[in-house]
Amino acid sequence: MNLRKTWFSVVPIAVALVAAACGGSTPSSTNPADETGTLTVWLMNGSAPKSVVDGVNADFKVKYPNVTVNVEIQQWGDIGTKLDTAYAGSSPPDVVELGNTLVAKYAAAGALEDISGKKSSFANSSTWLQSLTDSCTVTKKLYCVPYYAGSRAIIYRKDFFTAAGVTPPDSLDGLLTVGQKLMTAHSSDPNFSALYYPGKYWYAALPFVWWQGTLSSSNSQQGLTTLDNLVTKLSRADKTGDEAKQDQAFAQGHIAMIIANGWEVGVITSATGGDPSLADKLGAFPIPSHVAGQTAPVFLGGSDLGVAAKSKHQNLANDWIAMLTGSKHMTEMATVGGVIPNTTSMLGLGTGLNSVFFNAAKNSKFVPNSENWANVENANVLPDMLVKIFTGQQKVPDATAAASTRITSILNGGG
Amino acid sequence: MGVAILAPDPEPDPPMLRRRAWLRSNFLPYALISPSVAVIGGILAFPLGMLVWLSLQHYGLRELIAHQGRWVGLDNYRSILVDPLFHQVIVRSLLFTFACVVLTLVLSTLLSLLLLKVRRVVRVLVMSALVFVWATPVIVSVDIWQWMFDYEFGVMNYLLTQLHVGNFIHHNWFDNPVQGLGVLVLVVVWGAIPFVTITLFAGLLQVPSDVIDAAQVDGAGAWQRFWFVTAPILKPIFLIVICLSTIWDFGVFNQIYVMLNARPSSDYFTIAIYSYRESFGVTQYGLGASIAVVMVIVLVFVTFFYVRETVKVAEIA
Repeated sequence: MNLRKTWFSVVPIAVALVAAACGGSTPSSTNPADETGTLTVWLMNGSAPKSVVDGVNADFKVKYPNVTVNVEIQQWGDIGTKLDTAYAGSSPPDVVELGNTLVAKYAAAGALEDISGKKSSFANSSTWLQSLTDSCTVTKKLYCVPYYAGSRAIIYRKDFFTAAGVTPPDSLDGLLTVGQKLMTAHSSDPNFSALYYPGKYWYAALPFVWWQGTLSSSNSQQGLTTLDNLVTKLSRADKTGDEAKQDQAFAQGHIAMIIANGWEVGVITSATGGDPSLADKLGAFPIPSHVAGQTAPVFLGGSDLGVAAKSKHQNLANDWIAMLTGSKHMTEMATVGGVIPNTTSMLGLGTGLNSVFFNAAKNSKFVPNSENWANVENANVLPDMLVKIFTGQQKVPDATAAASTRITSILNGGG
Repeated sequence: MGVAILAPDPEPDPPMLRRRAWLRSNFLPYALISPSVAVIGGILAFPLGMLVWLSLQHYGLRELIAHQGRWVGLDNYRSILVDPLFHQVIVRSLLFTFACVVLTLVLSTLLSLLLLKVRRVVRVLVMSALVFVWATPVIVSVDIWQWMFDYEFGVMNYLLTQLHVGNFIHHNWFDNPVQGLGVLVLVVVWGAIPFVTITLFAGLLQVPSDVIDAAQVDGAGAWQRFWFVTAPILKPIFLIVICLSTIWDFGVFNQIYVMLNARPSSDYFTIAIYSYRESFGVTQYGLGASIAVVMVIVLVFVTFFYVRETVKVAEIA
């Protein structure tokens, strides 16, 4: 056997093998242009304006020319069921926008990638809104990136207020008085609501529950009694309906006030389904507290962006999220989308009407950050309680006691 | 007279004959029925078995994602049987089913009898309308019903107010559950009438007219002719229709779910909605499965009588 010949033939093979082995892995981490595949992104209806999504995708395309991004818009109504099914499957969407009250459930069940080690790779991560960061944190690990927040205030018709000779109130008693004056001024309109409040609108009920203490505390009960009184006297909205169509209803011109998010101004004044001529007639003021001069704490809603634990493109998914939550597109989210950005460094972007909503976020609260809270929402405990109160089926103490028992049971892992 | 005698065929081997006969009598029936058994097993027994299996496990979101449940025996059944809400749901479902089935049966019978009497053109028109109702997808038709009973813009409130039935402006059909369930019964019955009417009408065409005529000659009134002549002849069809309606109405889901914007309050829970809420709403799939199993058991009890009668009728025939 010719050893020399063997040696010469082995070396090239070994070199080729090493090269091949490197060739299989290096491009994915070093050259984005060689990345291929399809990234599936689920965003919620009404979250990012189309221009922002298009901008992010364009930037992504520049970096990853061979990766296709499919952004699919989901509806809030049945999202819980859809997410359960998607995460149970073998190829869930890579990036999912999750309502901030839903994250704990999916993180605890192992559906989301632990991104604690990647936190610093996201822009503004040191100044993220605390409440959103908390919603992403489960057992001290980070499972999502804060996306945006929303807090509610009262949107009102300035022209109706002027005509009725009233100004935005600074207490709940004042709200009732102003509302009653508006009702009197529009007594000839059988469809008029001074404060349009659909019965299942539980987010808007939280400021009344949060006077102090828990749901069944006497203060909360007093708060709900006040709300019931407001709804009875000022609202002609469906007591068994939800808030999904309140902006379209507002645009019809028979409503003076609604409790709404900042971005809903855009829906009210949109050419499709809204009324653009209302743009100059809208004002906003914070939900007043029972203590004159103070504002009520509001629910800080919002969304986070998570990467599926089973995703085959986790790096791409995180990079897409980093682009959307980067300063450039976050600024657009605040200025074009009218939502509260994910970082305190941009809270100054709220101008005009938006500033009222941005300021409301400063006095905000969050629901219990429990993996079972999503089940409380899906079981409709609070909407059911409100409907029973508003329709007179149950007195406030009975309704709150029943809801409180049910919430405790679900939070403890029961049904 | 001569008789031609043909030579017999050579005798086959008797043991082979016997084996073939044995195979034919023992194996052939099974071979013939096996495709049906396989199909029924695949589409009925397997999912039902899985459902029972699931109902004996704790199966939440974590287990769903890991594809691995935790065995809890009969715990799920214990917890639903002590739940007062579950008792209400069972009673509500039974009453709802009873109301729907009775109304469907009575209205469909009247309609099918009417169809016998009317002119051909009218019959074609009515039948077309019925088929149209039947052919409309449930979600679409329930959405339209929802608009009609809408609180603010519903045509029903407008019509009733215009007709001076009362002041129905901003009348909420669903804030009183009894009234709301009444509307839902209406929607379900509306959707169920076409099938039952057409089936009964087909049955009525088989009733011999001479028997009816004879009864009439003997002095039987319209009611007597129906009760003593037509109804007994139609009994097998009635049994089948009652049985199917009971099964469908007991498991009603779409109408309630869509009509109430996918967020029905607990006053509107029927057993199917309750099972769905427990399974998908609060991600307790094991618990939801146990409710579904109870639903199947209740249905078996409720329909047992009808199935037994149907079998009897079939045996007599």
